[in-house]
Formats: sequence, C-alpha cells, structure tokens
Amino acid sequence: MGTSYIYKRDASRLFIALRDNGKRYKIYIPKESEPVIDGEEYDIDFVEQEDFHYAFDWKGKRFHCELVSRDQNKAVVKVNGVEYKFSLESLFSYIRHGMIGKDDKSIDENNITSPMPGKIVDIFLAEGDLVNEGEPILSLEAMKMQNEITATCNGVIRKIHVVQGQSVMKDDLMVEVTSIDV
Amino acid sequence: MKKRLLIANRSEIAIRIIRSAHKLGMLAVVFQSDKEPDALYLKYADEIIPARDATTEKPIFLDAERIVNLALEHNIDLIHPGYGFLSENPDFAALCTENGINFIGPSATLIREMGLKTVAKSMAIEAGLPLVPGSDGAINDAEAAKVYAEKIGYPVLLKASAGGGGRGMRIVEKPETIERHFKSASDEALAAFDNGDMFIEKYLQNPKHIEFQILGDKHGNVIHLGERECSLQRKHQKLLEEAPSASLTPEMRKDMGDMAVRFAKKIGYFSAGTIEYILDEDGSFYFMEMNTRIQVEHPVTEMVSGVDLVDWQIRIALGEVLTLKQEDIKLNGWAIECRVNTEDPQNRFSPQTGFIDKIHFPHSNDIRIESGVQSGSVVTPYFDSMIAKIIVHGSNRQETIEKTLAALYEFSLIGLKTTVPFCRAVLQHPEFVDATYTTRWVDQVYTPEMLENADDEMIGALAATIMYASEYLQLSSDLPSYKNDSLNVWVLNKRLNY
Repeated sequence: MGTSYIYKRDASRLFIALRDNGKRYKIYIPKESEPVIDGEEYDIDFVEQEDFHYAFDWKGKRFHCELVSRDQNKAVVKVNGVEYKFSLESLFSYIRHGMIGKDDKSIDENNITSPMPGKIVDIFLAEGDLVNEGEPILSLEAMKMQNEITATCNGVIRKIHVVQGQSVMKDDLMVEVTSIDV
Repeated sequence: MKKRLLIANRSEIAIRIIRSAHKLGMLAVVFQSDKEPDALYLKYADEIIPARDATTEKPIFLDAERIVNLALEHNIDLIHPGYGFLSENPDFAALCTENGINFIGPSATLIREMGLKTVAKSMAIEAGLPLVPGSDGAINDAEAAKVYAEKIGYPVLLKASAGGGGRGMRIVEKPETIERHFKSASDEALAAFDNGDMFIEKYLQNPKHIEFQILGDKHGNVIHLGERECSLQRKHQKLLEEAPSASLTPEMRKDMGDMAVRFAKKIGYFSAGTIEYILDEDGSFYFMEMNTRIQVEHPVTEMVSGVDLVDWQIRIALGEVLTLKQEDIKLNGWAIECRVNTEDPQNRFSPQTGFIDKIHFPHSNDIRIESGVQSGSVVTPYFDSMIAKIIVHGSNRQETIEKTLAALYEFSLIGLKTTVPFCRAVLQHPEFVDATYTTRWVDQVYTPEMLENADDEMIGALAATIMYASEYLQLSSDLPSYKNDSLNVWVLNKRLNY
C-alpha cells in the first residue's frame, strides 16, 4: 500500500467528545502516530502526564490540562486555566445511541455493492474495522482482472456479507459501511 | 547595629518589603500568623515573631495593639504596614509613633485627613483641584440627598464618607429609589466603617481611573512619577493596571501631575502616596481621593520610572532628603500588571480556596513576578485572594500587550482557578487594545465566553478523550477476545521521547 491512511483499523481508538455548547470532536488516538482530530492529523506533543494533569505542546505553545471532575462519561477539563465540559463516547456507543449512521440514505450511499459480476479474491478488512475513504476493502475478480473495491467514505465496517472465493452478481450488497464523516 | 524593620503584612508585599529592607541593610522581621503558618514570605525574613492568633477571629495584621506590643518586645525600629490591613489606619500610625516606633508612611494626621473624603475634598478645593460636581460635605439624610441630586442631575453616586473597596456605594438612576439606596448604603457604611456619613456626586457614565504616584519627603520636597491607569476593575477592585495611560495627552499628564504635586505640598504630605483622578470621556478630570499607602500596582510605576518606591518610603521615614527632582523622572516604555487572584472568572469571580498543586511563572528580563505563594501553598479563606502579580515591561504599549499575553500563556497553576485567563481575555479585547476601556468594562462588556479559545477547546477535547480512552481501552483489553496490547502507546511514546 503506497498511501498511508490516518485511520488504522482499530475502531476502539476512535472517540467522540461532545462539548456542552454542542461542538463535537472526533478524536482518534492511534498507537504510534499523531492524534487525528476530525479527520486531520495534528502535530501535538504530549509532554507531561501526572495523575490528573496533562501538558501538550502545539503551535509552539504549552497547553496545561487538568481533569477537574469526572462523572462516568462526563469530564470537565481545565485548559490554560479555563474549564471546558465534555461528554465522551466511544465510536461504538455513539453508533449504538444512533448519533451516527441514523440516516438510512447515508448508509445506502456508503454501502459497497458489486459493480459487476465476479468473484471475491481477497477481503482486506474485518467487521468493526475503521476504513479510510479510498482505502481498498476487498478485491473482486471479473473478466480476468482484479479490481480493488474501495471505501467511499471514512467509516467503520459494520457487516461483511461475502466470503473469500464467493461469486457475486452485479449490485449484490457486499459490505455495509457506517460513515464517520457526518 | 542593624535597624530592625517589622512588616505588619503578609504574602507578596511582605516579600517585596523584605527585599528593600535587605537592600538598605536592615533586618526584616515578620509575623507568623496561625492562619497560614507555612506562608512563603516567612522564608525570606530574618526573624519571625509567632503571632498566636489562632483563637481570635482577627488575624495579627489587624490587631494594632498586639502588633505594637510585640514590636516593642522585639526591639523594632520601623514598621512597614504594606497595603490593606492597618496601612491607612491613623490610630495604628499614631500608636507606633507614641511608642517610639517609626511608622513607614505619612503622619497619623495626614492619614486621618485623607481617609475622610469630605476633609480630603475640601483640601483639594483649596489646592485648586477639580472635583466631580456634588455635595461639598457629608449629608446625613435622604431628603438632603434628593435635593442635591436634583441640582446635579441623575444618575448620581452615593458614597460613604469613610468608605473604600466599594462598600457603602450606590448608583441612583432616578429620584424614586434614592431614599432606599441612601438607607442601605448608609447602613452598610455604618457597619463597615463605624461611620454612616454619605456623599453624593455626579455619576460619570464612561469613566477611567487614572492615578498619579507621589513621593514626598519630610523636608517639603514632592515629585510625581507619572500616572497609572487602573480602569479595569470589578466591584472597585482592580484587576489589571498599566503605566502610563494611553488616554492622557502630554498636556493632561503635566496638568494632572502638577496638580497632584501641588496638592501633596499643600497638605505637607510625605512618604509614597497616590492621587486618584476620575477621567471623563471628554477629557475632563476630577480629583477623587488620595491613598496614603504603597499600592498593589506600584510595580508598573517602578518599571517605567526606574525608581524603587519602597526603598524611598523607608528612606523618607528615616528622614532622608528626596534627592530625586521632578526633571530626573523620565518615564521609559510601558508596563502592565496582571493580578493573579484565586477567583473563578467563569463563575462570577467566586473565590477559590485550597491547594496550589503546582505553579509556574514566566521568566524573562522584562517580566517581574511578585508572588506570595509557591507549589504546595494553601490558599485559605482568611485572607485576600490575590496570590501574585505578573508585571511586564516593553518599549511601547502594543509590544507590552503582546509580551504580557505571551507571559500569561506561559503561566500555569494546577489546583485552583485564577484571574489569569481573564487578564488574557482583556489583553485581546478591542476596547483594551485601543485603550477605550472604562471602569465599567467588566460589568458591561465582559462575558465568560471571552475566556474560551478554539485551540484550548480542542486540546481540552483531546485531553478528556485520552483520559477516557485509557480507561476504556484498559477495560476492553480485559475482554477475552481482545488483544492485550491496547495500552495507550501514543501517550507513552510521547512521554519517552520528550
């Protein structure tokens, strides 16, 4: 794979932080690279961690964060002396609560159907994986040609309806994808 | 033998005075109050007198008789009262003097005269200073107040004759409410100052607070060291000050400064003092009052004038001649002071008490820090909420604003909320930047949303998420199907690489 995708499959590392003023952040915390916030990778350095105190360096400035209070999935964080209140959800609970992927039309749009009759050669991702827009999900062989079928949005693989070696007809539903771009 | 200087005060100002005492070759003696037995200033003193004020409601700093008695026991030569507490209490000054202790400040008589606003104002009139139109003397009933109000026009301000810090003060917009306001203000003044006398005067809609720093010696020499603008106030408590003021023309500066000196000379003032003016939108200014103590915001004047005011206070008390002449005073650049109060600017400035887990101040040649606390200090409910001051100097106002903002971003305090984010919001507000802000800014313009910032918010979201994620991932990793490599490696990596 020539391209490097920002979402690295593990959907359990994607969270949604919702502020009390309605502002929402989608935050992905990969294992070894920079955090991804609302689909963008940020060069934020994590420089200090001590109990309830974190410090970050970004844009040449230091940001001091202090966890002021915590009640289940609600947290009040003080940043540079000012408090911000967030409620936090994992991607899965967010989907479960119907806060994402509620709109049936958007689901249809992002589901992957077979563009032509053919045979599934390989499936690169598993159910529950995060997928990036343009990232290959599976390989479909048709007329002796292997075609990589790619995701049309950033999302999570909800269900895979096909297995390796299976033959599909045109317009067969192969993979259901829930967009996380909304 | 070294002179022994007792500081009847605490916190940052105690440390500030200790510095001057040492510079002048004196021994600095302080009280250890049981209400904050581990206070930072104790570390800097040469000698500590235990105050044993645990059982009384009154901290030692307000107990004139005990202070003097303990001073006598400990062979104290001079007492510096700092600001607040007994600094403008004429009886305390008199008690010191009667017992042969040199009180660092003006005479008890001067303190008493300046403390009574009616007396101060009549002296100002004699010296030819303009006054806000109002009652010439104290008025003692609501009827008389009403008559005056009709004469000068509404809105009017009712003020306690012996007042200060906003107590016993009311704005009256219309005749129907003047009786009620008069009574409540007068009662408040009676309770707070034991004196229910009231003044009435014209209420200016968009005033600025401009004050001139005075130094006078016991030989009749008086100079001024330029002005400070302290318009940024909340309930008459200053939050941020600057020197000089962008609202004065050189002519106004000269006029106001000359008048301040004339006034101080007329009353025979000595020591450091401050003449307060109120400046109207149209450029007219009026004498408000004189403060007979060193002020919290004195460092901005020191930064632009290069004169050490506390040193001079002490030297003047010893009878030295003020060798500085008015023409020696050259003001250089600009200075801004931000008060660090443990108050919550997101929640009506409610006081915060508790531990300061960690405090970090900015450092640079242009930054002066006056702090009464360190990491681990406790902020108690017994004393004022001001824990430190951050003072920044620059070559002009614009540059100083930028430097101050950067300094405030470098400041951090873990454990309590402070007014630092408030000061940051002020420094970025157009009305501060163009210097049109007035004493009403906090009440009329300020909103807590001004404290927020998109970058801070996003970082907050990230921090909250990391906290949540580390628990969430740990929980998930306990599930049998989950690979057990789910510790937040990005977090750890970043820590190791730093």
